[in-house]
Amino acid sequence: MTLSIWRYSHLLLALISSLFLILASVTGFILSFEPIQKAVLPYGGHDIKKISLAQTIDALNSTYDEVLSIEVDENDFVLASVVTNKGNNETIYIDPLTGDNLGSPKPESAIFSFTRTLHRSLFLKGLGRAFVGIASLLLCFIAITGLLLIIKRQGGLLRLFSKVQKEYFEMYYHVILGRWTLIPIIIVSVTGVYLSAEKFNLLPLNRLKHQISISETKIDLDKKPADLALLKQLNLHEVRLVNFPFSEDPEDYFEISLKDKELYVHQYTGEILSEVHYPFSFLAKQWSLVLHTGRGSIIWSIALLTVSISILFFIYSGLIMWRKRVNNTKIDTAATDKDESTHIILVASETGSTFNFAKQLKEALINSGKTVYMSHMNEYTTYDKAEHLIILAATYGNGESTSNARKFKSKFETIDPLHNLKYTVVGFGSKQYPNYCAFAIEIDNLLRKKDGFEETLPVYKINNQNATDFHDWTEKWSAKTGVPIKLKNTVVKNKASKPSFFKVIAKTNPNGDNTFLLKLRPEKKLSFKSGDLAGIIPEKDRIERSYSIARIKDDILLSIKRHDLGVCSNYLNQLKINTTIPIYIHRNKKFHFPKKSPLVILIANGTGLAPFLGMLHENKKHIPVHLFLGVRNKKSVEIYKDELDNALKSNKLTQLHVAYSRENSNDYVQDLIKENLNLVLDTFTAGGHVMICGALQMQNAVLDIIENSTQTSLEKSLIEYEENGQLKLDCY
Amino acid sequence: MVSANSGKNMKTHIKNLIVAIGLIFVLGAFTIPPKNINYKCMIQLTNYTGEGAYIVVSILDKNNDYIETLYVQGDDNEWYRDLEEWWKKYYGKKRPDIDAITGETVTGGQRKMTILRIPEDKIDSGYKIRFESAVEDQEYYKDDVEFDLTQDNLNSKIEGKGFIRYIRMIPQ
Repeated sequence: MTLSIWRYSHLLLALISSLFLILASVTGFILSFEPIQKAVLPYGGHDIKKISLAQTIDALNSTYDEVLSIEVDENDFVLASVVTNKGNNETIYIDPLTGDNLGSPKPESAIFSFTRTLHRSLFLKGLGRAFVGIASLLLCFIAITGLLLIIKRQGGLLRLFSKVQKEYFEMYYHVILGRWTLIPIIIVSVTGVYLSAEKFNLLPLNRLKHQISISETKIDLDKKPADLALLKQLNLHEVRLVNFPFSEDPEDYFEISLKDKELYVHQYTGEILSEVHYPFSFLAKQWSLVLHTGRGSIIWSIALLTVSISILFFIYSGLIMWRKRVNNTKIDTAATDKDESTHIILVASETGSTFNFAKQLKEALINSGKTVYMSHMNEYTTYDKAEHLIILAATYGNGESTSNARKFKSKFETIDPLHNLKYTVVGFGSKQYPNYCAFAIEIDNLLRKKDGFEETLPVYKINNQNATDFHDWTEKWSAKTGVPIKLKNTVVKNKASKPSFFKVIAKTNPNGDNTFLLKLRPEKKLSFKSGDLAGIIPEKDRIERSYSIARIKDDILLSIKRHDLGVCSNYLNQLKINTTIPIYIHRNKKFHFPKKSPLVILIANGTGLAPFLGMLHENKKHIPVHLFLGVRNKKSVEIYKDELDNALKSNKLTQLHVAYSRENSNDYVQDLIKENLNLVLDTFTAGGHVMICGALQMQNAVLDIIENSTQTSLEKSLIEYEENGQLKLDCY
Repeated sequence: MVSANSGKNMKTHIKNLIVAIGLIFVLGAFTIPPKNINYKCMIQLTNYTGEGAYIVVSILDKNNDYIETLYVQGDDNEWYRDLEEWWKKYYGKKRPDIDAITGETVTGGQRKMTILRIPEDKIDSGYKIRFESAVEDQEYYKDDVEFDLTQDNLNSKIEGKGFIRYIRMIPQ
């Protein structure tokens, strides 16, 4: 409920004000250079905290005929209005110790004065100021609603700065940049609003009222200002403005404006005739000016500059996000009738990306001759002819439902199906969040407990919109229901990356295990490491598969198991030497060989060995490494023999332990771990690293063995080791 | 004799000529350029609320024609149009260079001191001095302060009618 309100207000506010905001940020960008340009002028140089007002007055009085006023600006430059001995009234920057003329203030450049007028009033005077003030207020609301959205999205205030799920460029940076610039944006907009409101007299403004009280002391008309104790105490840094006495008459006095108050000071006795503190509204205006314009601080000016650019980016990326959501979530419900369809697809999606999968599924089912009805989960109802209910459910934020699914639970409780339904739930989420796919699991439980629902497949979780996983699920579902599903165009590329091109330079024939090695050389120099993933998209089905990379010098070595019906493995198997293929290299930082470690244990089965071959090659520091490998039989190792022998010979591999599952012993790699459990446990306690690559089944068996012992002999749980990077997993 | 006489006449002619030339020089020195006198001027504003006041100080002749601008308070020419009379009859037409006599604005309750350079020949000769004032989105006062340019007035305190509470002037 609340989520969509914030989103709609965020969007609506942004659309209304975007024209003004574009103008304000472009002009703001230009204006942010002004204080920078000013701050680097050569009129400073003294530490004015160490110079007293009396010193400067004395210096000026002895240099010039007459002094009218002194002003100290944000850059600590001292500006004085003086009458020179030629009788000219000049306003000049002066050296506060000598009174020397350092130069005249330059008239503001035409670009800045033009831009400033545009920025604050669009050349429409009062009316323009009102527009800009309102746009500024809207910007403030946009920032606040945006902040609420990010908190919601990240799953709570405490997780505000945790990792962001990357769906596409515009959304990712809208969130990333948003987190860092929200506070400055709120500052800029609030001060902008304050300054506008001040112009329209919307704020209580109390004029200072001085009451002059003179005590009857003896006046020595020879006393010089430089002799007055008060002026000696005040340093220039505290002073904003000094108006000199109008005449030598004892009734005329110094008017001294400090940072927080105004003083009238007797010109011969130094007595404070009146002292008035500035009201809050005045100080707020001063601060608003400083914060809004950046004057006096180069760093803040640069921050303001960044804010201006980022607002432009937000407008652009926000528009893209909005268009995407609208396009993705549009459902053509009129095309099919809910009561005529046998297959019902219900979707929970916040950003619209889950709808991509739903649409592909719908199309594939229609191509298989089924009647399909697709709708939002909120629209759950009865379906006359339904046989299958397929729910694609994304989880939002910290395990919550998306806004188009929030009514599902209550509807589901009250609406009974007309007849038995076969159901399956596919969860979409990100492992970066603690409650991974929690909403899908919750829905799955709900359906399981209700009479009349029969499970086709247990809940299937898909991490970060992974297309391969979704394809895998469709295969499982097809196998179970006998309905063929051919997804069209399933390439949902998460990153706007471009492929790199590689030439095949060596390839073995599939061995007894149907496994072969493929060596590829990049056409251009590339930065990648063993453990990164090679994404390969065969022409035939356009679905990306990932293979773990071994880097041998500058080449990629892949170990591939050929499946009889595998589209990609067969495509790779028929590649000829010297052919060039496109490969998407995906960084996989969490599965890189440690830079520093007392001891590393590598555990792999089957083709999971591949990245480790490269890592051994990269082990230039000769960190002690134990490799535990599970294969079928002795022949299975032969294709890896050269690399393994080299590693042993060059002392990059300390010991190799191999388990053969199809030899006499029937050993699995987990059996080896059981035998060497102490070595593994010691590695954890000594701060070493354990890396596992291969089948998920093997990984779980190995982790079970370690976990059962960790509870007794290890201080930390495996999850903690995984979090601190001592345990690295890459299984499938 | 004749020659002596004519010689004497010649001398007087030359003498007269020298006197005449000398006189022209001396007179010239006095008339071009006219002498200016520096007056220190303090403008005290009333406690109005709003933006800084734009003020222009000018010398006018008997016919209320603008002769010279002495001082402009306010450096954003976007607002000069608001000083209507001055804009219409003087600045808008002639665009004199006023950079050297322009100062920053001050707001309600504040005061500003400046030096006005008044040509001596305009004093006690039927000229007037006028202070016009305007505040953004508020009133415009055509003659906030206006008085005859006389020695006496130039050494006194004069009340204003608009944003100016009073002005004070003394020779610098």
